[in-house]
Parts: sequence; C-alpha cells; structure tokens
Amino acid sequence: MKKLLTSILFVLVGLFAVDRLGGMMMWWVNQHTHDVSGPKIKYLVNNVCEDVVFLGTSRCNSHYVPSIISDTLGVSVYNGGIDASDNIYAHYFILNHILAIHQPKAICLEIMTSDFAVQEDPFATISFFAPYFGRNENADSIFRLAGKYWQYSISHLYRYNAKAASNIAGLAIDRNEGGDNGYIPNPKPAHHPRSLNHKRTPAKVDSLKLEYVQRFINLCHKNNVKLLFVVSPMYAKIDSDCYDVMKSIAKQNNVPFLDYHSAGLFLDHPEYFRDKLHLWDKGARIYSTIFAYDLRKILAL
Amino acid sequence: MLLVASYYFYMNWKPAYALLLLTSTAVTYFAALGIGHFEEKRKKKLCLVSSLVLNLAILFLFKYYNFLSSNIEAALQSSGLAINIPEFGLLLPVGISFYTFQALGYSIDVYRGTTKVEHDFFTYALFVSFFPQLVAGPIERSNNLLPQFRREHHFDYDSVMAGVRLMVWGYFMKLVLADRCGLYVDVIFNNVDKHNGGSYLVASLLFPFQIYGDFAGYSLIAIGVARVLGFHLMENFRRPYFACTVGEFWHRWHISLSTWFKDYVYIPLGGNRVGRMRNYFNLFVTFVVSGIWHGANWTFLCWGSLHGVLLCIEKALGFSKRRFSGMEKFLHWAVTFVLVCFAWIMFRANNLSDAITIATGIFTNPGVPYLDYATFIAVGMAMIVLLAKEFADEYQWKIHIAESDSWLVRHVYLVVMISYIILFGVLGGDQFIYFQF
Repeated sequence: MKKLLTSILFVLVGLFAVDRLGGMMMWWVNQHTHDVSGPKIKYLVNNVCEDVVFLGTSRCNSHYVPSIISDTLGVSVYNGGIDASDNIYAHYFILNHILAIHQPKAICLEIMTSDFAVQEDPFATISFFAPYFGRNENADSIFRLAGKYWQYSISHLYRYNAKAASNIAGLAIDRNEGGDNGYIPNPKPAHHPRSLNHKRTPAKVDSLKLEYVQRFINLCHKNNVKLLFVVSPMYAKIDSDCYDVMKSIAKQNNVPFLDYHSAGLFLDHPEYFRDKLHLWDKGARIYSTIFAYDLRKILAL
Repeated sequence: MLLVASYYFYMNWKPAYALLLLTSTAVTYFAALGIGHFEEKRKKKLCLVSSLVLNLAILFLFKYYNFLSSNIEAALQSSGLAINIPEFGLLLPVGISFYTFQALGYSIDVYRGTTKVEHDFFTYALFVSFFPQLVAGPIERSNNLLPQFRREHHFDYDSVMAGVRLMVWGYFMKLVLADRCGLYVDVIFNNVDKHNGGSYLVASLLFPFQIYGDFAGYSLIAIGVARVLGFHLMENFRRPYFACTVGEFWHRWHISLSTWFKDYVYIPLGGNRVGRMRNYFNLFVTFVVSGIWHGANWTFLCWGSLHGVLLCIEKALGFSKRRFSGMEKFLHWAVTFVLVCFAWIMFRANNLSDAITIATGIFTNPGVPYLDYATFIAVGMAMIVLLAKEFADEYQWKIHIAESDSWLVRHVYLVVMISYIILFGVLGGDQFIYFQF
C-alpha cells in the first residue's frame, strides 16, 4: 500500500507541475495564434477601442462589414461576432470583459432564437472562453452556471482543451486573411441555398437566458452604452411571433429592435446566401450598406 | 460486493433493463444446472435449446423485431398489401448483445462438457454482469473468468499499476484519437449530400481509426479496470491494421467476438472439415451473422457479407496458409487496409444509399476535401503516438515506456499521457460506439 501511495503522490505532483507549465505554454500559443476565434476574443478582452461593437455568433461574424458601416456612421466599428459562441451567456461573458477596459458608444447584438429558447446544452461552447478564466469575476459567473468553474480552477491546461488543436493549427495557418476589423468574409459557395425553410417560434423559452438578456441590457445602461438588437437576414420564412419574447424585453427597456429576417429582406435573393443561415461576402456587403443607413438614424451619431 | 456494483453500474442506464440481465442470467444458470443434472442426452439438449431460444428471443425482440417488421411492411406494400405491423417501442438495452452471447457461450460450453457447471448463482450472476466488460466486452469465456471469481484476491501493487496504465492508454485511444476522428467523420457521414469525393476519402480513412480507438480503447479500459481489481480479461485487439489478409484482420480485431463466432457458429456448421463449397458457405454465413450481430440495419448486413465474400476469395487463393515477406507483404498489407477501410464505409454510413454515394463519390466526385485543420493536427499528433506504440509492439522493438523496467519512466509516462488527454481529449462525454450493440 505504501508503494501505491508513493505512486499516487508522484503522479499528482507531476500532473500539477505539467499542468502549470503546460498552461503557461498554451497561454502563449493562445495569444499568438491566427485561428478564427482566438485573436478576436483576445482583441475583445484586451484591446477593443472602437465606438460601435457588434456581438453575436457566426451570423454576426459574417454579416457586418465594419468598413462599410464605419464609412456611413463616421465612427470606428468592430465586428466581435464569434463563431459558435452560441447564445446570450457567451455574449454576456464578452460584454463584461469589454466594459472592464472600454466604454463603446453603442453595442449591436445579433439576436438568435438560441438567445432565449431552451437548448439541450446551452453551455456547449462556453469552453471557448476558458483561457480567460479568472480575469473578470462577473464574466466568470458564466462558468459557475455551466458547472465548469472548479475544473478551470484546478487545471490550467484544461482551460485550453476546447481550442488547443485549433490554436496550434493557427500558429501555422492564418485563418483571418481578408479580415476587416473582425469581419471575416464568407467565400462564394458552390451552390446557393435552393429551398426556403420555415423557421418556427421556439416552443420553450429559457427563463434563465431571459434573466441574462436583462442583465446584458442593465450592464449596457449602467455604463451608458447604447444597445441595439438586430436580426439579420436568413434564407427561411418565419413565424411572425418568432422573436416576440425578445421584442417584448427590448420594448420594456427602450432597446431598438431591427428585425430584417421577419421583414423578409433578401428572401428573393438566394444568391446572396452561402447557406440558409449565412450571407456570403457579396450579400454581407449589401446588407451592411442597408443596415448602416438604418443604424445611423437610430444612433443619430 | 462486485455483483452489487455491477448491477448498480448497469442500472444507471435504465433500472428496468437490469431485469433483462437477470432473466438472461437465470435462464442460462438453470439451463446449465439442467444440463449438468440430466444424464440423458435428449434432456441435456432440451435444456440447451431452451436457453438458446429464450435468450435469442429476447435479443430478437429488442434488437431485430422493428427492423424485420418494417422491412416486411415495405415488402408487402410494394406488392400492393398495406399491412401495419405494430412496432416494439422499447429502447435497445445497452450491451444486450454482449452479455447474451457471453451467457450463451457458457450454456454451450457446459453442454459440450468443456466447462463445469457453476452451482453458486451469485458467482454465475457476476460472470454475466461483471461491470468492466458488461456493456461492450470483451465477451469472456467461462473457462477464463469463472475460476477467477472463485479465487480469493489480494491487493497487488503491480497489478493495480498495470491496470491503471492500460486504462490511461484506453482513454487516450478513445478521447484523443477516436473522438477527434469522430468530429470530422460525423460532419461528412451525416451530411453526405453537402460534401465531395475528397471529403468522403478523408472521412473513410479516419473512420477506421475512430472505430479502432473507440472500441479497442473501451476494451483496454475494461481490461485495465478488471486488472486493478485483480482479474485478467482476454485480449480483444492486437494491432488489427497490421494485418496482411482479411482473415488475419479477424484474428486481430474484436478477438473475443470472432473467436466466439468461430467456436459457436462456424465450427458447429462444419467449419473447414467439409467440402470446399460448403466451407465457403460456412464462412459466408458466419460473417453475415456477425454483421447482423452489430445491428439491425442493411448496412451491417452488407458489411458482414462483404467480409464473408473477401474471406472466401482469400481462402480460394490460399492466402490463409501463406506467410508474406518483403515487398509482397507490404502490397498485401496495403490491399487489405484499403479493403477493410472500404468495408467500414458500409458500417458507418447511415443507410445503404449514403454508403453507395460515398463509395462511388470517392472516384466520381473528386474535389478539395473539407479542411478542418484543428482536427487534422490533433488526429495527426495522436496517430504518431499510436503508430509509434503499435510498431514497437508489432515488431517487438526494445523500447518500453509504459512497461519500462524503470519506475520513474513508468510514472512519467502516466503523467504525460494524463496531461495529454486533459489538453487534447474530447471531453464532452460522448457515447462509446459499441455500447449500442
């Protein structure tokens, strides 16, 4: 039994040492990678300084062209959309980090049904942000919700688990070519979407997500940041009440809500889409021009 | 204690299914008692047949009934008869094929007189339900495992540490290799119409390593857990992708199942002590049954049949009796690897139509594959580690890391591998593929 205890002790001490050293090494990799989401998260957490910041998922990432919007508004713009950042919990995490270092004039949040509907695993991709665990107490509350707090507290190496391979690949391959202040253009697809789906109103609303939507709004108001909710075009018909839950919250809090999807924008232009959820670069540029004009009226900058 | 732990483990999936496990245990237990009790051969046979029929009926009901009824319905509809056969609505109990075959193997062994009747019900129940290998094998033989339950076990440091090292390697194969490959494979095989031949080819080359890492990984974890507890389970995989013939592949892949089929299906059919054509028939039938064992789907049937045909061809060409070396060995290895990978397409595809699209698309729809750099890097690194170990084991290089004579090397190996799994493992809690069989 003494031999076994010695073995366990050696392995535990060894794991601790490798975990801490490996954690430092992976931090360096994370800070120097050129993969898709790593540099954007790094910029949002450490360096963001633009007047208007867009937040959201891959739809945000590939729909808003900062240079076009910036030209129209006459202010600086950053597209902070992060692929697969999934829902309001991720956006709340990022918002906390941004407001800790910078006070933008406006934040535009691209809304998805996943921001208020019940999901099987609402924290599936929250681990993307784990490298920044321990740097902002409010943001870290999301890790508590996700049940990941103690794992990230114990292991520094585990914080990089979700993106380790991607970060390493990003040391050799630059995935952000053609980027425009956070915007990463989608290439023209081989086939544009052919058939129109019908997007139904989510059957179940997640009350905890709604609470975090409210917290997101409160945080913006508290910091005097103008907030705007947007739903960009999607190649699908939609139930007219699909976003009513979010529209209701927006109305209660005087947050403007621009819903281009329900308005049917681009439904007659499948050639603007890469797939049913995303525009490709040409569509994004046309959409950004339309959106910038509307945004200028709302923000009156 | 172990029996309680085993049932608790199984009841974590769905408590009610423990009743099925208990039923299978009771049926084979009493059948074996009957076989041991009666002198008359006819009565012994009756006991055996009862055990076979009852166990296979349960397996059929849960695993094959819906498949058969839906195919009968479709066949009748195509001939103008619209008959609605009621569906069986219960989910497939996890591991049912494994413990049913293990229990049946015991019944047959007792009938053949190659194993003794186990009179203690609890010892026998533990043999059927022993938790490390309950849900995905290895399918143990009564001759190996039952005597171990009768012996007293004492704490053995070397055995515990050897078990831990096996478990760690098993977790590496599952979490770092198999699940990483799965990230790419699932994207392609679940969206066949959205991808080209290049992606099909890459996915078809990754899936063999996914299924190997998944299943061999689980087997090693099971063998490792058993070793920690002081039990020795049989080897289930022996570097299958080093095989130079399809026949050799089956001597290295899922050894516990392939030997089960050899002993309880192929040999009773006559094995190779029959005429040439009958021998081919026996081989083919054995592999068709093996295919169906994996699941109620035409894809598994085709996969098994394809292996059956390949083995018959090898037999006709006399490959099974030849030893290869040099360039000839390399060519045979390459052809075997390609054939096995090709057959895996049938196994993984969601349906036959997808399988055909992928198999033909590799040649007719070329294109740049879907590039998932992160997965390629993670899989590439895992493959280097895997191949280094497999080559060292296969060619008995004198490089021992996990089993080094040095205490320090063995422990550093554990630290490095656990850290590697923490950093690169897919730790989302996905299912093992073979749990579904």
